[in-house]
Amino acid sequence: MGVADGYRTRVGVLVENPLYGLLAFVGLYLVADLILKLGGIELELAGVKVLGGFEPLNSFLSKVISGLLRGLIIGLTGIGLSMTYSILGFANFAHGDFITVGAFIGTVTSYIVAGVIGAATYDIGTLALLKIQATQLGLAITGGWVAFAAIVLGLVVAGAGTVGVVLVVDRLAFKPIRDRSSVALLITSIGVALVVRYLANFIWGIEKFTTSSPLDVWEFSVTLSSGDVTVNAHDLTLLVLAVSLMLGVHVLLQTSKLGKAMRAMADNKDLARVTGIPTERVIRFTWVLGGSLTGVAGYTWVLWRGTFGWFDGWLFLLLVFAAVILGGIGSIYGAMAGGLVIGLARDLSTVFIPSALAKASAFALMIVVLVVKPSGLFAGRTTA
Amino acid sequence: MSTETGAASGAATEIDRWSESLLQVRNLDAGYGDLQILTDVDLDVRDGEYVTIVGPNGAGKSTVMKSVFGLTSHMGGTVTFDDSDITGMPPDEIIYEGLGYVPQNNNIFDSLSVRENLEMGAYILDEVPEDALAEVFERFPILEERQDQTAGTMSGGQQQMLAMGRALMLSPEMLLLDEPSAGLAPDLVDEMFEKVDEINDAGTSILMVEQNAKEALRRCDRGYVLVDGKNRYEDSGTALLDDEQVRRDFLGG
Repeated sequence: MGVADGYRTRVGVLVENPLYGLLAFVGLYLVADLILKLGGIELELAGVKVLGGFEPLNSFLSKVISGLLRGLIIGLTGIGLSMTYSILGFANFAHGDFITVGAFIGTVTSYIVAGVIGAATYDIGTLALLKIQATQLGLAITGGWVAFAAIVLGLVVAGAGTVGVVLVVDRLAFKPIRDRSSVALLITSIGVALVVRYLANFIWGIEKFTTSSPLDVWEFSVTLSSGDVTVNAHDLTLLVLAVSLMLGVHVLLQTSKLGKAMRAMADNKDLARVTGIPTERVIRFTWVLGGSLTGVAGYTWVLWRGTFGWFDGWLFLLLVFAAVILGGIGSIYGAMAGGLVIGLARDLSTVFIPSALAKASAFALMIVVLVVKPSGLFAGRTTA
Repeated sequence: MSTETGAASGAATEIDRWSESLLQVRNLDAGYGDLQILTDVDLDVRDGEYVTIVGPNGAGKSTVMKSVFGLTSHMGGTVTFDDSDITGMPPDEIIYEGLGYVPQNNNIFDSLSVRENLEMGAYILDEVPEDALAEVFERFPILEERQDQTAGTMSGGQQQMLAMGRALMLSPEMLLLDEPSAGLAPDLVDEMFEKVDEINDAGTSILMVEQNAKEALRRCDRGYVLVDGKNRYEDSGTALLDDEQVRRDFLGG
């Protein structure tokens, strides 16, 4: 009886929601395809390749690592976006450009420190406008104490500087319309995004800047039969930094008074006010926390990829939104988990489809998750 | 008709007697945005007194509470609490004056633990006041038992206890309770009224709005009947219960 019942309910699910069957089929197909590809087996049906192919193990592992690192940056950025949504009540389209702010401010700081204390052959203007490559400055975290100090200072200033910019933006743009509808705030944020983005364009130009070449950075390789899997010191910096910042946010929100007040306000703004929680101070702290995480994320992006341009933060915001929505908008743990899922999906999709479509696959995955769980992975857990 | 106007003007002449009262509401006009709900409302709560506001749906009972606590648009009149003018003061300042407010709905932080809810109640203090916390736990033992539980997963009655506990964390001189029995099962309603009595007996003045008018009037010191945003009757709870007119019009016979 148990078997028959189980069979009936299983079939019942498929009849009620044929999409689940399709999703399961696609999932199984992709897994089978991956296994065959890793084994180098190709299956053909009537001369058409249907399954398998060739994906070297080292290339696959590199994609996993790259996806994880990308996911950490997305998650780090997503925390701020999610908090802005739950505490201030709007989707902040300027958030991507805060990544840009962090990336540029941090890199400029690193350039100036390395260029002035170190080589001293470049004038400040050249350094501040990022007109030279960091390889000429030896700017790698393992490139001696000056380079190390330059990068650490870059990280600090990326966080602090972004906080400054974000607070000014809040004062000028968002505070005067705090009580307006979320749509008014959202549209304002699009305007802020344009202003910030084109200011970056105006100052640093439309060319992407390039920092260290991978040669300068200490790296660690594992040799497999199919080739090497490499992790460098900047990847590790990003990993350690992102994980510790996420843990820090968790501890802050769960144990500190202000963190609890943030969760309380995300939960119920009206009650927070009648309870005597200073809502403006909580909002300011939300910007400080979100801004610093986002600025640091922008700088770690530069460390990781070695290049950045004025438009990249905006493009990156799409992935961040996907991650935050997938995780359950408003939940910071959802943002972290969603970031990892989206990052991995973005990089692993290149196993199956051309890399030009990688971003699209991340959005496809987001849609799939929302079909199965419409309110996201961590739904209903507002900032907690 | 004549009885009503008589009662209203009677109330007006009595106001001098209340000049010493803890909470004084005088000629209050208030509403939301441009919409005026309250007209010329007068209300007093003396130190240690237990006062209820009853009246038909839409009479503006909750609006009186919200107006005292600075949550509506102020349009005229004054609110004085403990000799300081709190007219139009925002809630996050009023809380410092020793006035606590328990809203009718959404009156706890669902995603926070019970203990965190209570801690938020004392946010304006530097430290969580251990004596007040112990007192709240003594009054509502269930809260101590469940202090690590997520507040939103508790039953309606327990949530209402938590909401009151939260407001008591600052040991306020006076508590504004907006329909504490709303949505509770009948046996819990009695327990809730018992708790309110206990809080009042411990010296906290109470201003309460209640749907459950008969029970509220039986227990309180004094009651106001509010109709269409205006004072209609004001008397001791038992006198209002005995008043033919009030019984027929507002208490369902």
